[in-house]
Amino acid sequence: MERAVPHAVPLGQMEVFQALQRLHMTIFSQSVSPCGKFLAAGNNYGQIAIFSLSAALSSEAKEESKKPVVTFQAHDGPVYSMVSTDRHLLSAGDGEVKSWLWAEILKKGCKELWRRQPPYRTSLEVPEINALLLVPKENSLILAGGDCQLHTMDLETGAFTRALRGHTDYIHCLALRERSPEVLSGGEDGAVRLWDLRTAKEVQTIEVYKHEECSRPHNGRWIGCLATDSDWMVCGGGPALTLWHLRSSTPTTIFPMRAPQKHVTFYQDLILSAGQGRCVNQWQLSGELKAQVPGSSPGLLSLSLNQQPAAPECKVLTAAGNSCRVDVFTNLGYRAFSLSF
Amino acid sequence: MSSESSKKRKPKVIRSDGAPAEGKRNRSDTEQEGKYYSEEAEVDLRDPGRDYELYKYTCQELQRLMAEIQDLKSRGGKDVAVEIEDRRIQSCVHFMTLKKLNRLAHIRLKKGRDQTHEAKQKVDAYHLQLQNLLYEVMHLQKEITKCLEFKSKHEEIDLVSLEEFYKEAPPDISKAEVTMGDPHQQTLARLDWELEQRKRLAEKYRECLSNKEKILKEIEVKKEYLSSLQPRLNSIMQASLPVQEYLFMPFDQAHKQYETARHLPPPLYVLFVQATAYGQACDKTLSVAIEGSVDEAKALFKPPEDSQDDESDSDAEEEQTTKRRRPTLGVQLDDKRKEMLKRHPLSVMLDLKCKDDSVLHLTFYYLMNLNIMTVKAKVMTATELITPISAGDLLSPDSVLSCLYPGDHGKKTPNPANQYQFDKVGILTLRDYVLDLGHPYLWVQKLGGLHFPKEQPQHTVIADHSLSASHMETTMKLLKTRVQSRLALHKQFASLEHGIVPVTSDCQYLFPAKVVSRLVKWVMIAHEDYMELHFTKDIVEAGLAEDTNLYYMALVERGTAKLQAAVVLNPGYSSIPPVFQLCLNWKGEKTNSNDDNIRAMESEVNVCYKELCGPRPSHQLLTNQLQRLCVLLDVYLETDSHDDSVEGPKEFPQEKMCLRLFRGPSRMKPFKYNHPQGFFSHR
Repeated sequence: MERAVPHAVPLGQMEVFQALQRLHMTIFSQSVSPCGKFLAAGNNYGQIAIFSLSAALSSEAKEESKKPVVTFQAHDGPVYSMVSTDRHLLSAGDGEVKSWLWAEILKKGCKELWRRQPPYRTSLEVPEINALLLVPKENSLILAGGDCQLHTMDLETGAFTRALRGHTDYIHCLALRERSPEVLSGGEDGAVRLWDLRTAKEVQTIEVYKHEECSRPHNGRWIGCLATDSDWMVCGGGPALTLWHLRSSTPTTIFPMRAPQKHVTFYQDLILSAGQGRCVNQWQLSGELKAQVPGSSPGLLSLSLNQQPAAPECKVLTAAGNSCRVDVFTNLGYRAFSLSF
Repeated sequence: MSSESSKKRKPKVIRSDGAPAEGKRNRSDTEQEGKYYSEEAEVDLRDPGRDYELYKYTCQELQRLMAEIQDLKSRGGKDVAVEIEDRRIQSCVHFMTLKKLNRLAHIRLKKGRDQTHEAKQKVDAYHLQLQNLLYEVMHLQKEITKCLEFKSKHEEIDLVSLEEFYKEAPPDISKAEVTMGDPHQQTLARLDWELEQRKRLAEKYRECLSNKEKILKEIEVKKEYLSSLQPRLNSIMQASLPVQEYLFMPFDQAHKQYETARHLPPPLYVLFVQATAYGQACDKTLSVAIEGSVDEAKALFKPPEDSQDDESDSDAEEEQTTKRRRPTLGVQLDDKRKEMLKRHPLSVMLDLKCKDDSVLHLTFYYLMNLNIMTVKAKVMTATELITPISAGDLLSPDSVLSCLYPGDHGKKTPNPANQYQFDKVGILTLRDYVLDLGHPYLWVQKLGGLHFPKEQPQHTVIADHSLSASHMETTMKLLKTRVQSRLALHKQFASLEHGIVPVTSDCQYLFPAKVVSRLVKWVMIAHEDYMELHFTKDIVEAGLAEDTNLYYMALVERGTAKLQAAVVLNPGYSSIPPVFQLCLNWKGEKTNSNDDNIRAMESEVNVCYKELCGPRPSHQLLTNQLQRLCVLLDVYLETDSHDDSVEGPKEFPQEKMCLRLFRGPSRMKPFKYNHPQGFFSHR
């Protein structure tokens, strides 16, 4: 059986190296611009690429529209997490968080606005930052990662105000509970901890792996993803993807997904999750799988919903993971096309 | 005279003139000394006006008399006759007067005429004189102008300037005191001097001519002498041959080569010249020789009649044979093909010696009808090589030079015009004939100075020296690196087949001291087999698995874990790294599509290959990659998170020193080895 080989151009050393880099690229994080027209994606080589969603979605889109408008080297290590404020793009990976102006980012040779490193305890190895969370009411940023603490940084002054300790192993993900400003964090130690921001204390701990219904010891106990909807929380990772009622700390629904999930989010009345395996899974709150839409990467690490009010025509779901491609879903039912680094 | 004698004068008329009138009645000689009657003189004395009056009166009288006579005659009578007679006499007298008057008038007229005539004659004479004088004047004027315009020959001679003249001329010629004042003398002097000079120069010229003759004779003599020298020199050269060989200066050999080179076709000649030049100038390890039959090469340039005869003969033969049997059509086509693919009888041999005494023999051929060059390669090592099974293709003549430059696989003819020629004789592609004819690589054409532009086939492509020269150095270097890297691989393969990864001492620092995983198998697989593997799809889609690459399968084992590694070896190793794709069989099958850590391991070997290159010329790349693979498997197995539900100890206790076991959202294992501290960390 012959497989079509697309390239007829003889590959020299440079081309082979670039092809290998692209094959082994992982996109860890995505973030949508405040105007809604651009998507930033960060990969394991420390590069950030800015794609123009409006150009790629327009009717005259060509192949070049699916390539980044600009790519620059943001960090030395992988870019594990990115968030956007209404003017800035914040990216974090190998121990420091950098800020970029969205207005400037499209120009070549863009430099970061500022970079901050939270005060770490260990000095042997710089711990990574796995999750960034914006708390709009306080105008602060929460960072969490390799050193098992949550650090809060005031966005105006840049000072690190709090360090919340409690996790015994590194932290994977963060979620914000808006009503009572509480932060949820899930970590490698298998626990989901709730922190009250005003008192800076841990108020609740859910050790997911201890619940038999959802624990899967062969995968491990780590919590890879969190999402919360005030009273409800969904988390997944080593244990099965489970919907929890927060006040009673009880798992209400277990989603029958064998592969560990790396990203989960609430959307309208659905829960979208993605992880090992090609597909973006759509779940009903009752636990039924509504749809499984295959993407182009063998494993997905991040989902991003563009709900910016300024660009309703760019309202898409983008998924990225173990490849150099970002899948764009205009309609949750199928993959429309892929942007590529 | 008679008129004079018959003249009568009427007294009333004559008397008034003077006395001498009566005496002139008789013209005789006696009266000549005295007075004589001259009517001419009378004319001068009479007044013409009076004569005219007299004439009118006479005519009137005559008329009257006539009228009276008429009357009388008409009356008649006797006395009439007397009166008529009387009147008749009177009329006669009147007639006489008239006659005189007539005579006088005639005389006057004549005189007048004579006078006019005289005057006219005078005038004419003056006129003539005037004209003569005028002519003379004109003539003289012309002469004067002629004289004035006259240029003497001496003015055409360029004389030396005055100053020079006075400086140079000897005083007896220049005579300054005389010539200064007198321009005529001066010019004469100058002319004299000119003449002197010319005489002297003529003398000199004659002398020089005679000199020249002498010298020409001498030259002739010397030429004879030299030509007699030639055969003697030849004999000396012959005698010196053994000395040349003794001193390693084979001039004669080189000379002979150049002689043969003259019969080479242009591309081979370009190659020969450039390669010899490069060899002498830059690279002593390159040697060039010409092989083949010079006579055959000369025979190619037979006069066209012969070849036409041959053709017609062969045509006749062919006609005959086609009448007899059918299958000869195929034979015909075969012959045509052979003719098209015919090689020039001469070929150029290049020998590249490498550092370890292995030699790359390259033989370059020229296909005359196709206007392309091909090459056959052979690697000869100093010692006999035992070829490991997997290394079969490494040094095979067919593939050792494949893709020296990216994409240059040498299976297609580089000359686009050949396609039309092939169509005529039914050749699909040159690939079928490369084993026999040699490979028509693009760099071979460039070394021969042949450039085939891709867009439009040109009719005549001429061999260009500058194209060859610009590519010579790079190509030679690439050839050497190619041979050396292949030989290095050859050696390494021998070791790999025995399960030992040969890591040299200067690359030991890349790996921890203890490596438990072992390489158990190393085999070559075919391109199709590689494409069929389920875990190599990404590489194939990325276009990195061409049919010019070499494919291998390595198996690394530790305990119950088996790691399969499919390796793509690009002909451009080691500048282009080998690409590994992994499949681990341990607690299930894990590949890069379902295990992020396998993907990370592949990345460590494929993307971070530059650390593993080792010292230049980085022949250690493959072995270092394999060793690293073993280390990675060790780390993977030892850092596997213990499953609480399963009983029993871990199969692989952790022996590696790691700071952290997992990091990042994809929970990477620590694959990076830090030297010299010896611990593992994350990238």
